Amino acid sequence: MTHSSLLVAQQGPVKLGVHGVSKAYRLPDARGSGGIQQVLKDVSFDIRENEIVSLIGESGCGKTTLLRIVHGLIQRDRGDITVDGSVVSGPGADRGIVFQQPSLLPWRTARRNVEFGLEIAGTPRSRRRERAAELLELIGLSRFADRYYPHQLSGGMQQRVGLARALAIDPEVLLMDEPFSALDAQTREVLQAELLRIHGATKMTVLFVTHDLDEAVYLSDRIVVLAAHPGRVKEIVEVPFERPRLDLPTLRTTPEFAALRTHIWNLIRPAEQTAPSCSRGEIHV
Amino acid sequence: MSEQTIAPTPAPQRDKEKPMPQTPTPAGASTDIEQLEETTYTASRENWVLWGIRVCSVVVVLALWEVVGRQVDPLYMSYPSEIAQAAVEITRNGELPRAMGSSARTLTTGFAIAGVIGVLFGLLLGRYRRVEAAFDWMVNALYATPLVALIPLVILWFGLEFKAKLVIVVLMAVFPILINTASGVRDVNAALIDVGRAFVANERQIFTKVVMPAALPYIMTGLRLGIGRAIIGMVVAEFFTGLSGLGALVITYGNAFRTDAMLVPVLVLMVLGVGLTALLRWTESRIAPWKKGGDD
Repeated sequence: MTHSSLLVAQQGPVKLGVHGVSKAYRLPDARGSGGIQQVLKDVSFDIRENEIVSLIGESGCGKTTLLRIVHGLIQRDRGDITVDGSVVSGPGADRGIVFQQPSLLPWRTARRNVEFGLEIAGTPRSRRRERAAELLELIGLSRFADRYYPHQLSGGMQQRVGLARALAIDPEVLLMDEPFSALDAQTREVLQAELLRIHGATKMTVLFVTHDLDEAVYLSDRIVVLAAHPGRVKEIVEVPFERPRLDLPTLRTTPEFAALRTHIWNLIRPAEQTAPSCSRGEIHV
Repeated sequence: MSEQTIAPTPAPQRDKEKPMPQTPTPAGASTDIEQLEETTYTASRENWVLWGIRVCSVVVVLALWEVVGRQVDPLYMSYPSEIAQAAVEITRNGELPRAMGSSARTLTTGFAIAGVIGVLFGLLLGRYRRVEAAFDWMVNALYATPLVALIPLVILWFGLEFKAKLVIVVLMAVFPILINTASGVRDVNAALIDVGRAFVANERQIFTKVVMPAALPYIMTGLRLGIGRAIIGMVVAEFFTGLSGLGALVITYGNAFRTDAMLVPVLVLMVLGVGLTALLRWTESRIAPWKKGGDD
């Protein structure tokens, strides 16, 4: 069964473009000279407005690097990143990011953390407060806005604040780097559903890195499957489920979900069997 | 030489991750908080017991001192009641208040200067590798040197009066402040700096909104360690430059074989040291409430 037959034509302009991105690292070895590891090779894909696109692949094989390149925290060697058609380099307020660890500033309350990006951008205080209140409402933490510091919040709540902080600057594209992977299964499912709800309400465009197949299928419009050594696009899988979607436990029981999951699993698995582990990847001296 | 001094008392936490029970809904959080309060309650009862023991210990030691002290030649040893009488005496004749005023002026001015220099220079040293390379050897060498040995030089340069005393206090106090500030800046969690960069903060914003608040607990630790050394510097300066302040009282009454009156300024210095350190420790905990659990 080929999943391109399930393709649902997506309308809307391209929001984020990744064109021929390559990246290599110099690896220090025991003698201190080191080889070159090709982490990403000629990666290209587009994300259209209001889409959620997942990047999935073996762990540690370039998906997080790619997300950080898209964000500009890491420089690319070759290729272009475009937002609304114009090339970007370096971090910009047009891209918001949610990290794997919430990375909240521990001396700021939830509200002041949400305001952080706006403060950097020089938004006036009253506007900042207003926007933070809206977002805390959206993520269901209004009650916790001023009374609590991050260390007093649970991991799930911290990550909600991280999401609100990224949304506060009204980014064109939201980048999420395995944001739920550090949470327990139950919290993770709640936050996945929350993300879909917020996506429905805000019509945002999302690039989502994950290693969790269910999560990728449940959230995404399309899934970019990366092969490793070097990281390259293996296949872009369309996910046909209508939005708003059923909840994950229900959706998971449908044959379509199982078929899609198996298909992606088969795309990822062979690489796992033939290639050595990522850290000992292709080394050209 | 310095590990012990550098380590801030609320142990530096590299990672803010707490193994907290994770709850899917905000409502769940109140359970965490109730549990927290219950723990605090048990801990506070244990605290009362510990304080009780502490008070008993103080009373017993003072009583023993009183009893034993009375048996000894007053030239060699005094005892609490006699020291108290001497304290009343030198307070009434104005000697003690004058000495305290003079010492306080040296201490506060010197400590303020050391604080400003130590924090500013420490921030630069911690943040910029090149500044560090230029100066770290000097800082480490001076910190390791018993600076009392430089007093003859200080006297040659600055004389015997207030200025020389200030220089000695600053020299003694500035290094722990500087070194702690610098290590606080170096230890800022890289993920938090990434957050700054991710939101397109410029270098100044990263410095003021991420690095400085993150280093604040270390700075406070540096100040707390610095105040102890400033007091030592003050007394040493009062001994070896122009006699003044509490140090002068110790020398004068020591030379006059008035052991009881000599111990009065010593006790004042002790109270001063304990009090100022406790004050800074308290400020430390107020200023960085995220460093301890459930300060609400």
